[in-house]
Amino acid sequence: MSAPAPSTAHRTRTSTSHRLRVMGGIAVSILFLFPIYWMVLTSFKQQVDIFTTPPKFLFIPTLETYIEYMQRADITRRLVNTIIVAAGSGLLSIVVGAMAGYALARIRIRGAATFGLLILLSRGVPPIALAVPMFLVARKLGLTDKHITLILAYSTFLIPYVMWLMRSFFLSLPRELEESAMIDGCSRYGALFKIIIPISLPGLLSTLIFSMILAWEELLFALVLTNRHASTIPVAIAGIAGDTVNGANWGALTAVGTITVVPVVVFALLVQKWLITGLAEGATKG
Amino acid sequence: MSTELAKETRAAPTRRRGRTGDLLVRWSFMVPAILLLAVMLAYPIFYTIDISFSRFDLSSFGAGEWVGWENYIEVMDDYRFWESLRVTMVYLVIALPLQVVLGFGIAFLINAEWAGRGLIRALFIIPMVVAPVVAGGMWRMILDPLWGILNYWLGFIGIGPLDWFGDPTLAMAAVIIIDTWRWTPFIVLIATAALLALPKDVFEAAKIDGANWWSTLWSVAVPLLVPVIAATFVIRWLGAVKMFDIVLAATYGGPGKATNVINLFIYEEAFRSLRFAESAAMAVIVLIVTMVLTGLFLYGSRKLEELF
Repeated sequence: MSAPAPSTAHRTRTSTSHRLRVMGGIAVSILFLFPIYWMVLTSFKQQVDIFTTPPKFLFIPTLETYIEYMQRADITRRLVNTIIVAAGSGLLSIVVGAMAGYALARIRIRGAATFGLLILLSRGVPPIALAVPMFLVARKLGLTDKHITLILAYSTFLIPYVMWLMRSFFLSLPRELEESAMIDGCSRYGALFKIIIPISLPGLLSTLIFSMILAWEELLFALVLTNRHASTIPVAIAGIAGDTVNGANWGALTAVGTITVVPVVVFALLVQKWLITGLAEGATKG
Repeated sequence: MSTELAKETRAAPTRRRGRTGDLLVRWSFMVPAILLLAVMLAYPIFYTIDISFSRFDLSSFGAGEWVGWENYIEVMDDYRFWESLRVTMVYLVIALPLQVVLGFGIAFLINAEWAGRGLIRALFIIPMVVAPVVAGGMWRMILDPLWGILNYWLGFIGIGPLDWFGDPTLAMAAVIIIDTWRWTPFIVLIATAALLALPKDVFEAAKIDGANWWSTLWSVAVPLLVPVIAATFVIRWLGAVKMFDIVLAATYGGPGKATNVINLFIYEEAFRSLRFAESAAMAVIVLIVTMVLTGLFLYGSRKLEELF
């Protein structure tokens, strides 16, 4: 065997390191996905299969926990509530936030920049500083435990989020688009609806979906502002998880957890391409 | 010429009306957001400040008489408040850098070009959309000292059994692990895009100049990435100061007060102990501290961007 030429040696080394990178990437992905896999798996176990040493990977799957828990903890009603609140606050925020984001990106208004900066800073407001007064005011006005209260409460963090994402999205569009439309006699709203919105649909949609996910999983406001009628799924999970201190009700925890996670995961994977670009743009151009 | 002029004069009033009309149209884009945020964001903040300077009247469930700085003095004397701030600090100081470094490291790994790259990138979205409260509960099960699968596996390599939720240090470690699991994928996705956007030729040039792997990383990649890293840090900071759900589901602040982050502490004081005035005072303090730090971080990241 003769010594390989330097260029070949170089190539083999890069391909080894490349292979290591690929394997490392796969290993890390498995590591990150395993907890979810384990949760879903556990949700299909019978109580006797949950508490075992060694932990069981093979067992006869059952829907027992789902059936039992769907009836017991008002899960169906909570699911409906969560959908109403997530859709409501997501839609409200995308309309209001995208309009403001468009204004910040394209329309010259005196004082708009200051307002934009204030809103950016508002993303640092700890929700607990809002939860206390919201609870007190809602209680006084008889608005606790209502969907609309949660929808409005969620808009406090969703509108700033949408505004900044959509602002950078609109900034990335060529200015000539609306300018030529407006020269052709379109009003500002005409230009927005006929030209900008159709082009921005991917960005709008991914932002909407992400806002709905943020609303879907919100806990603090839901905990504070609802108790029975409008209570959401995360509140139920917090309750079950809190119970495990004594009871360790893992069947219920994993079943309700799976119900919460699966629709969102499906949704997110459906629009993953848009989600990734939306996220990346929000971070790098914000 | 004269007809032109006549047309001008006739058009003038309409145009002026058009200009005010245009101003209204311009503002109409902003007004809904301003109104909503004024009612739901600005007003509650002022109300919190109002309560923090009052004695809380439990009969009317609102701000009572003005007591000046009394609530603030009481809160400042409360060792639990300081303890909770310390716990929050420990969490932030460890978790934030850890997640940013891990996020960029993993992004480097999964950016290796091969057939499954797109799939792996998509899979990294999944942990990101698991509700934090679910993540907390799920990991509570995985880390369970007796039945948890992690302790079972750690047993094989001679570690443990670790009492994840009984030992103060381990409980903090558990919270950081869960938080890192939940949030690192978010940074991975941002970092992946940032890495892909890096100009290729600079690295080619470094390779031709004989730069080794380490110096390429430190003198080429990191300076190019600094703006994104700074931006990612700020975004993650904005999320991390809101830490609540994971702790609530996983440890509920325990054991003792070892993981009792400030948001949970204020929540408990307000809604369990009904000490609304003191909670409001704490919320105002936390609000000011976060605002100042957020401002500093934003300023810092802008400065870094100019520097590199």
